[in-house]
Amino acid sequence: MVTTINKGEFKSRNNLIATYLIIGGLVIAAMMVFGILMLLAQGGVLDLPPAAFYQFLTIHGTGMIGGAALAASAVMWYFLSNYVELSKKVFKLNLILSLIGVVMVIIGVFSFKYASAWTFLYPLPALSGGAWGVTGALLYLVGMLILGVGFLLLYIDTGRAIIKKHGSLGKGLGWDVISGKRAEKDAPSPTVVASTMVTIVNVSALTTGATVLIMNIINVVNPAFTFDPLLAKNLTYAFGHIFANSIIYMGVIAVYEILPRYTNRPWKSNRPFLIAWTMSTAFTLVIYTHHMLMDSVMPKWMLIMGQVLSYANGLPVLVITAYGALMIVYKSGVKWDMASGLIFLSMFGWVVGVVPAIVDATIVVNHVMHNTKWVPGHFHMYMGLGAVVMIFGFIYYLSKVDSSLQTNGLDKVGFISYTLGIISVSVGFLISGALSTPRRWATHFPEWMAPAVFGAIGGVLAVVGLTIFIIHFIRYVKVRGTAGSDLNEQKLA
Amino acid sequence: MVQTVAWIVSLIFMLLITAVFGFVAFKSKEKRDYEPIKKKWYKARTFYGATLVVVMLIITIYTLRELPYNQPVYGAGNDPTIVDVEAIQFGWKMSETEFKVGEPIEFHVTSTDVTHGFGIYDSELNLIAQTQAMPDYTNKVYITFDKPGTYDVLCLEYCGLAHHLMIGKIVITE
Repeated sequence: MVTTINKGEFKSRNNLIATYLIIGGLVIAAMMVFGILMLLAQGGVLDLPPAAFYQFLTIHGTGMIGGAALAASAVMWYFLSNYVELSKKVFKLNLILSLIGVVMVIIGVFSFKYASAWTFLYPLPALSGGAWGVTGALLYLVGMLILGVGFLLLYIDTGRAIIKKHGSLGKGLGWDVISGKRAEKDAPSPTVVASTMVTIVNVSALTTGATVLIMNIINVVNPAFTFDPLLAKNLTYAFGHIFANSIIYMGVIAVYEILPRYTNRPWKSNRPFLIAWTMSTAFTLVIYTHHMLMDSVMPKWMLIMGQVLSYANGLPVLVITAYGALMIVYKSGVKWDMASGLIFLSMFGWVVGVVPAIVDATIVVNHVMHNTKWVPGHFHMYMGLGAVVMIFGFIYYLSKVDSSLQTNGLDKVGFISYTLGIISVSVGFLISGALSTPRRWATHFPEWMAPAVFGAIGGVLAVVGLTIFIIHFIRYVKVRGTAGSDLNEQKLA
Repeated sequence: MVQTVAWIVSLIFMLLITAVFGFVAFKSKEKRDYEPIKKKWYKARTFYGATLVVVMLIITIYTLRELPYNQPVYGAGNDPTIVDVEAIQFGWKMSETEFKVGEPIEFHVTSTDVTHGFGIYDSELNLIAQTQAMPDYTNKVYITFDKPGTYDVLCLEYCGLAHHLMIGKIVITE
């Protein structure tokens, strides 16, 4: 592991990583508060004006994905930089552009009342029914574009570094090993494989996102410029689906790196592993059409493929990654602490969240569950209990190897509180979905209120847990470097 | 009802996954050599993976038999009633709103401004069918109501600040 860099560089790298994680963690916590307020409003407990509700909805969706992506990219960068030479300048630039983008989005939403939801479905940004004007729309859309450019630069850099070291992105995915030209023992590490996949899908997603953002921007400035709404929707969901999903594929790098250290069992790339990641790369790029199953004007074959490939996309995680995590932990004598506990929990969260996702990707089910609260039910599960937990598992790991900070009983309370909280939020959403409750509604009929209140209570528990995690992390930041070096990394094994 | 089946199936599989993770966590304290574990569970994985693929294939074939996109085959003299639906911020314009039980209906749904969602709810607030209402395009819903009553049409795609107030009515009589 960290043998190629000296201690000074290690510390400086960790400072930047810590900054990413703190910003990401705080944004996630703040967005959770908006989530609770929305659930309370839907539950009839809080009297929130619709304008405020939809502004919260917009900032919640955008901020959660942005904050989690920022933190997850730090996880990926931290481990990938052990294998390839990444540019710290680009990493810093992404942070700066992200912050500029975030500020613009916040001003657009809260000062100029912009509320298109993160989906900014054309032509809603320009046709708000008088709710917001050109300035708000431009601040949001241009802010998103700047954020996207930052991330695009980051993934271009990871791609450059992988190509420089391994020869091509295909080799980064281990295609030469799959084809038998190279021995399994020389296969790229799981971190490189996952990073290559994320690079490929996110460069595509962000380019797609930038295209539809720019078209929306031109339409807002000059409404005479119009474009095809169905094309716009395809581009929006191709961008949103892939980018949101990439968070978990970046986060899982923490699982590949941390579990072997705790169990003393190697996690190496073999042929099935590499095939699974190639499948994930291909499927993640094309299955966004499961967001369009209720657009019957789409070519029918695309919609059927949306179902079939969504099912297939469950296979790599169910058969390879989750199975691998279970195997590596089973009878391993693993030392459970906050980091290993959260990492194991995150795999559970991912797998369990796949179930309602696959169910909803079934066309006949989607016909009566699309755009109900079933949808946030499944993604709160695999994002809240999967991706975000991977990030916080990594944070506890980092604080362990880079400081002498100890965890205490409070952290365990945080673990339990967060877990129960997110499960309650997700189950509340799923029950709402089963009751046909529409998503993205500022108010609910009385029949639909109870699960929303239940979810809000769960949300409070989750915020309590997350706050404890963040406090631990801030304590780490204050004392970081007190024990950090490659020696400490070895200490775990 | 599809929603109930979806919920029960999801719950069963989620509980199964919980049990598996719980079992592995419970067994994690024991310490054994990894090689025999790998050998045994790699073998098991082949069976597990194959089973999963077969189950998914069966479910895929079963659930793709009848799709909501397919126009039903109408009997002679039983032509459908075509209903033109136009969504507009924030309401529904429908060419007809009263129908009979057993009458085949095709809702041809579009929008004059932004994208909306055309969701039909029965009197117990269960979603029974939907499609997107998108400008420049016409999506279709094929439906035959089998119970009389008042049905609601709710907007299911976020369309602006009064999205949740965009509610229409359909009346079905015997």
